[in-house]
Order: sequence, then structure tokens, then C-alpha cells
Amino acid sequence: MRTWVAQVSLALIAMLIGITLVAQFRSQARPTALSSLPVAELSTRIQTLSDANRQLRTALAEQRDLLEAYQAAGAQGFSALDVSREEVRRIRAFAGLSGVEGQGILVRVSGSLDAIAVNDLLNELRNAGAEALSLDDVRVTASSVVVQGARTLEIDNVAIGRTFTLVAIGDADGLVAALQRPGGIVTQLEQFVRATITVSPTEALHLPATARDLAPRAAVPVE
Amino acid sequence: MGPDSETRHRRIRSGWVLSMALALGVLGFVAAAQWNSEVQRASYTTSAQQALSAQALTLEQEQEALQVQLAGVEADLTEIQHQSEGSQTALAEVNRAVGEARLAAGLTAVSGPGMVIEIADSRRTVPAGENPANYIVLADDLRDLVVALWHAGAEAITINGERLVATSSIYGVGSAVLVNTGFLSPPFRIEAIGPDDLEERFRVDAAYLGRVAQRIEAFDLEFATLSADDLQLPAFIGSTSLRWAVPVEEAP
Repeated sequence: MRTWVAQVSLALIAMLIGITLVAQFRSQARPTALSSLPVAELSTRIQTLSDANRQLRTALAEQRDLLEAYQAAGAQGFSALDVSREEVRRIRAFAGLSGVEGQGILVRVSGSLDAIAVNDLLNELRNAGAEALSLDDVRVTASSVVVQGARTLEIDNVAIGRTFTLVAIGDADGLVAALQRPGGIVTQLEQFVRATITVSPTEALHLPATARDLAPRAAVPVE
Repeated sequence: MGPDSETRHRRIRSGWVLSMALALGVLGFVAAAQWNSEVQRASYTTSAQQALSAQALTLEQEQEALQVQLAGVEADLTEIQHQSEGSQTALAEVNRAVGEARLAAGLTAVSGPGMVIEIADSRRTVPAGENPANYIVLADDLRDLVVALWHAGAEAITINGERLVATSSIYGVGSAVLVNTGFLSPPFRIEAIGPDDLEERFRVDAAYLGRVAQRIEAFDLEFATLSADDLQLPAFIGSTSLRWAVPVEEAP
């Protein structure tokens, strides 16, 4: 009788532990529903979404203008030609297929950065709104990544020395602020990798076109 | 009942008491931990939080609507450019260039062979005293995987449907990962089109083996890869406007 009671008691306790463990595990999982996010994270998300939607509205307005320009051109082939030429210029510049110029920042880096650190730096600049990037005169495209080569770091099969220059075209103030914010990437790299990084806003920068052929071989356009 | 039998029974009783005490101790510890996390979670549900989450939801819905509209206008533009291809030689040539540039820039949906990667947070219970962030997929992990894929020869990549282009970043924002304008949550599905041996090349790439593979192993992150014969990746839908960068190349 006593053994039976003890077994049932143990079974009950084991079940309770199981249920509580599952609940505890669930509560450790990352919150994904909006309603479960903390206030600070929601505020950041609202700010980011607002900025992104503003960009999307601008892009939509510009593309509608372009569409209207085509429609207005109608049978007048020369006007449509001008619209298309402008479209090619814009998209080639966006992809890195043509050179670009404008204001932005120069980032001079000296130190033993590894490939991850340099890729993080490029990622930070993209996130801060850089429209075009180059690393030691190599234009950075979507697929340009920094890797450890046989002797040095490389980007698009071009060697990078221990000292290199990153150029980013975009809102210079915004780019500087993003890199130099307290606890930001420059602080982290200077502390943990022992690198010296100088960031200079510059009025007139020129970035070359990529030397790579970006036409895909395996990927075909979906009609 | 002899003295030996009584001693044996006393030992058995002591064993039971010890087992029960241990089990109750574990139960108490786990229940306390659970109660603490519930208290923390309950404190989130303030009125400010409800208002903010409603605002964020509205913005997310607005973003989806804007992307649908933008995709529609892009499709109309492509249609017009295709129509004019057969009309005049000069215009046809420029519009072919538009098509090629859009393809290279990631503004065209593409199909082809490649691979799929799925990665998600660990299912393992976080041991006491360890950092829970170790057991979830971080933006760093996705960046490492993407670097390895590009280096292995990928020509087009999406993360949860977000096509990566020259201005794309992969950025951790709280518990989510921001890619282009989308807040992504796990499980993360990365699709890449590339050469037939993309998966083999990816598996031996230093960017994969260097950090993320070790984290997958150490913290038991959910991870799987699969070669695919025919993937379809959507075009990038977002802003391609250049506000600061001025093209310096003459149009063809």
C-alpha cells in the first residue's frame, strides 16, 4: 500500500516537473509576436519601419513618375529612349556596374582585422544607408565578400593590406554617426581587434565600377 | 520483525525521503525560475506596449501594401520596356540593357539550381548561468552563412524571401533580424541559386566553418541544408533610388 502511494506521488511530481520544464523552456524562447516585445524594442522597430516606409513611398512615387514618362512618350520613340537611358544609368549605378560620385565618408583602417570584422564594417555602412561602397578601389557589389586568402585578406580576388581605405557614398553625417556611436563598430574594433580607424566626411568622392561580370550563369530570369 | 529487517526498512524509507526531497527541490527551483520569467513577461504588457505594438503592426501592414504597389509598378515598367524592344532598334537596345542591369542588380525574379539552408534557435533548455543569446540564431550567423554562400559562387540569395542586393544589410534589432526593410524571425530559410556544386563548396568554406558551424555544434542550433534543382527567387522590392550617388558612366 505504502509502495503504491509512493509510486503515485513520484509519478505526480515527475509530471509536474515535466510541465514546469516545458513552460520554462517556452518562456526562454525569443519573443516573436509583436505583443510580446519589450517597449524599447518596439520603439526601435517603429522608428525603423517608419524610415523604411518613407523610403518605399519615395521609391513608389519615382517609379510612378517613370511609368508616366513612358506613357506620355507614347509613340514618340526618342522620349521613351531618354527615359530608358536614365533607367539604365540608375540601375547600373545601383548594382555597381558603373562608377559613381558624391559626398560620403572615407574610413582609413590600420590593424589586424580579420575577414569577419571587415565584412561587419561593410554591413554597418550598408545599414547606415550607404548607397555605394568601395574597398581599396574595389567596388563592393551585393556578392562582394571579404575572405581570408592564402596570405592576406581578399575581396573579389584582390588582396587587401593591413592598412586599407573604405569609401562610402551617402549622407556623410548619418554614416559618421552610425560608425562612431558609443559602443558602435568603431569602438568595438578598436577595443577588441586593436585597430586604428579614422572616419572623415568628404564632399567629393569617386567610386569605380566593379571589374567583375555580374551577369548570372546559373540563374535565369523568370518571365 | 527483527532488528535487521527494521534497519533495512529504515534505509528504504530514508532513500524515499531523499528522492522525494531531491525531486521537490528541483520542482521548486524550476517553478521559481518559471514564476520569475512570468512576472517579467507580465510586466511587458503595459498600455504603452499595447499602443506601440498596434502602431508597429499598422506600419508593417503599410509596408506590405507599399511593396505590393511597388511590385505592380515595376511589373508595368518591365512590360512597357519589353513592348518597346521590338519597335525601334535604339530603344530596343537600351531596353535590353535595362533588362540586363535589372538582372545583375537583383531586381528580376530568377530561377535555377542551388541550395536551401534552414537555421533556427536551439531547442535545448538554456543551462542556468549561461547566456540565452548563445542559443538563438543571431544576425552574425546569417551574415556568416551569406558570406560563405557568395564566396561559394551563389548568384542570387534570399533570406525568408528578402532578396539580397548591393545595399542590403543583415542587422540584429532586438529579437528580430532586419534584412532590407523586413523584420525576420526564425526559422530562417536562406535560398541561393548558383553552380551545381554550390552545397559542396559552401560546406568547406572558411566563412561557414569559422564561426557559425561551431555555434551550431556547440549550442545545438537547428540546422539543415539541401541541394535543389530548381529554385525560384523573387526580385528585390524596395528603394533603388540614389540620393547621394551620381552615376558617372554614359548611358549606352
